[in-house]
Amino acid sequence: MIDVAALKAHAKSLLEKGSVRAVIGYRKSTAGLLAEPATIADADATDDLIFDPTCVQNLALYLVNDKKERVHSRSDDKRPIAVVAKGCDSRAITVLLQEKHFPRESVHVIGVSCEGTGVVDARKLAKKLDGKKALSVNFDGSEAFSITTEDGAQSIPAAEVMAERCLECRSAHPTLSDMTFGEAKSERALHAPFQAVKHKMKDEQDNRWAFWARQFDRCLRCYACRSVCPMCYCEECVVDSINFAVLPDTTADEKADRIKWIERSPARSETAMYHMVRAIHLAGRCVDCAECERVCPVNIPLRLLNTRLEMEAFETFEYNPGSDMNAPTLTSSFRDTDPNSFIR
Amino acid sequence: MTKTVAMEKMLNKADLAAWMGKLDSHRLFSPALEDEDVWNYMPVEEAAKVLLNHPNTVRPPKGFVFPQREVLYEYSQVPGEAPVLNETLPDPAPAVVFGVRPCDSRGLVRQDIVFTKEYEDPYYQGRRAKVIYVGQACNQPPSPNCFCMSVGGSPCAEDGLDVLMTELDGKYHVKALTPRGSELLAKGGELFKDAQAADKAAVEKAHASAKAHPQRPIKDLGKVAGALKANFDSPAWDEMAKACIGCGICTFLCPTCHCFDISDEVKCSSPCKGERVRTWDSCQFPDFTMHTSGHNPRETLGSRLRQRVCHKFLYFVENHDTQQCTGCGRCVSLCPVGIDIVSVVERLGQP
Amino acid sequence: MANAVETAKDETGFEPKIVAFLCKWCSSAGSDLAGVSRLQYPSNAVPITIMCSGSMSPMFVLSAFNKGADGVLVSGCHPGDCHYLKGNFFARRKIYLVQKLLQFVGLENDRFRMSWVSAAEGVKFAGVVDEFVKDIKKLGPQTRLKAKR
Repeated sequence: MIDVAALKAHAKSLLEKGSVRAVIGYRKSTAGLLAEPATIADADATDDLIFDPTCVQNLALYLVNDKKERVHSRSDDKRPIAVVAKGCDSRAITVLLQEKHFPRESVHVIGVSCEGTGVVDARKLAKKLDGKKALSVNFDGSEAFSITTEDGAQSIPAAEVMAERCLECRSAHPTLSDMTFGEAKSERALHAPFQAVKHKMKDEQDNRWAFWARQFDRCLRCYACRSVCPMCYCEECVVDSINFAVLPDTTADEKADRIKWIERSPARSETAMYHMVRAIHLAGRCVDCAECERVCPVNIPLRLLNTRLEMEAFETFEYNPGSDMNAPTLTSSFRDTDPNSFIR
Repeated sequence: MTKTVAMEKMLNKADLAAWMGKLDSHRLFSPALEDEDVWNYMPVEEAAKVLLNHPNTVRPPKGFVFPQREVLYEYSQVPGEAPVLNETLPDPAPAVVFGVRPCDSRGLVRQDIVFTKEYEDPYYQGRRAKVIYVGQACNQPPSPNCFCMSVGGSPCAEDGLDVLMTELDGKYHVKALTPRGSELLAKGGELFKDAQAADKAAVEKAHASAKAHPQRPIKDLGKVAGALKANFDSPAWDEMAKACIGCGICTFLCPTCHCFDISDEVKCSSPCKGERVRTWDSCQFPDFTMHTSGHNPRETLGSRLRQRVCHKFLYFVENHDTQQCTGCGRCVSLCPVGIDIVSVVERLGQP
Repeated sequence: MANAVETAKDETGFEPKIVAFLCKWCSSAGSDLAGVSRLQYPSNAVPITIMCSGSMSPMFVLSAFNKGADGVLVSGCHPGDCHYLKGNFFARRKIYLVQKLLQFVGLENDRFRMSWVSAAEGVKFAGVVDEFVKDIKKLGPQTRLKAKR
């Protein structure tokens, strides 16, 4: 079982020794059951750190945000930043390192084990508890979560309330870390990898389009999926209007001739474009942390879209994102044996 | 909308569908599941299936009057000639929206202030005049993060509504609050019985018990604006926004947020033809305040969080003497990283 | 081939719009060859010359469909013939992924195609376009990803 006290002590000693600028971890939230990401720079505040199945967020995102912030603040503090990383988070960090987003020495990875289970899906849990409010969720061996409500504690089989992505997780233990807490349990295979996407692929094409059209139609374009994704670090996204400066002397013709990839209107065609651009841009980079799907306020199954290409990467190109920071990326490499028969 | 003497009636729950049936001159909407767990205002297809037992909808009902995309006008230009503009004022068919929670209708009152007080927005007004809001008092809090009473509202508030319905044992207490609401009740005719003293007592009891549900308090609401002003430069903004991912959930799903962007959607470049559209925008997006020069006055997430909270609890209070937050709790429940406006106000909005 | 233009007209009068992204070093020259050789083939393809199939952004494909293309063709040099040595190998991987994504979302399989056409293969180019047009005619206009304008 993961020793959270040891995790806190490690974070505290890092900050006390001054060997890191801050520790990015999880703490209890005031907004609900799920933990909130916390960036802690004060050694005394490390006591707030927690790690339990409510720690769903992918903290690799905050390494990206930290880099952006440091560019603007022009800080010359060269010390690394520490980050708590689950298996999926560590894969995301590996991809960022592979893409040279930041150097290895600028980050101290505190790996944490999901203890053979994974994190909780708040929606599934709410359904399971049928109106009762969960106050805390804890690891309880490899097959169950211990959940407390106003009525006391109960043990629920983890597979029933676990996040979908955890059910299909192929490597639950951090693959990259400077220090790891918890037991190295990565064997579980609750669901076959890519089970959900393979199931969807069996649908007729017309039905699949009907399915996706319905999903795209209700998209709000709040861009939470993009904002929460550690791989969506483009300085400027195709959906942003930043590069379309309209000046007083910009003529109608100039406006008309300017390439505008995606309109801001939440129309089906535009939303489809947005999600497909994101999916293709994540090909071979998506580590299936499924944060995009979790944060979606209207439950668009984005994980399904993104894992489609991950499946292709894994099965056709034998490429596993986040497994090797020194390997070439999926689309910057090729093999002579790559599929060719689809080309005329 | 001037208020007349409130008309109080009783409607058997089983007769709700019959009443809806008599309103067929209007498009009807009620909360329904758009997808698993996603409650939204959907067109009523089968009145008998409307239960009005919904939790808070994911989207507030603001889209009926302030849609995410509004065409302002169409334009076209033949080279060498003057551009031709064609105004496209909305003229929607009349609609009745059922199941509106009091927090959302109070949100509507705030939208009214923005779109009608200083400048009368014809697009907003064109839609507003056509939508009748039938509210539903919250006997049980529809969200675990409700805090309507902490911002001057209540689970049975009437502002912004045309009708308020309160669920009682097997019946609805239906109160018309505007002439439009009274007309709606009149269409129900015999379905409605006058509310008796016992019914009125039962409603009062239901409302009192609804108000007794514990909610998260905001101390000294009157002093929040001043305190926020004093804390404008506090480093705590950056600290609290550390986890923020900069998405648009909190603002797009807020019943009072009303910021928009205007852009041209070119449909054809030769001859030049297109639409000028207004779409929702969010102060949380990086390009919201971006200048053409590339300078961004609200570069950091902390400054954007400050903008959101101060707009609701400081600037709006200064300009319109009321908070621009109605305590629906959506931004708290749906924030991917647990940023909690009540905690923020507690920390920086207290003297 | 000779009566390709005539067969391009069907009863509904639907003429597919095809956007063809052609590598400057091979397929673009191949299409020129088809022209100067006076081969008859449907005129439905709008050629856009790109420097290499490897420079093909998936965004171009999606955007073409968004702006109303009924079909999109990407054509580059045969494996081993790339002017930049390996651009077409990168393209092959990338385009394969784009195709899988389009199919998964539910765009009809026949709307997106890739071909290897060298500068000497004018006949092949005409054949590829002819076949593409015929297949798209069976599908009718592309409505799924097209913006309403």
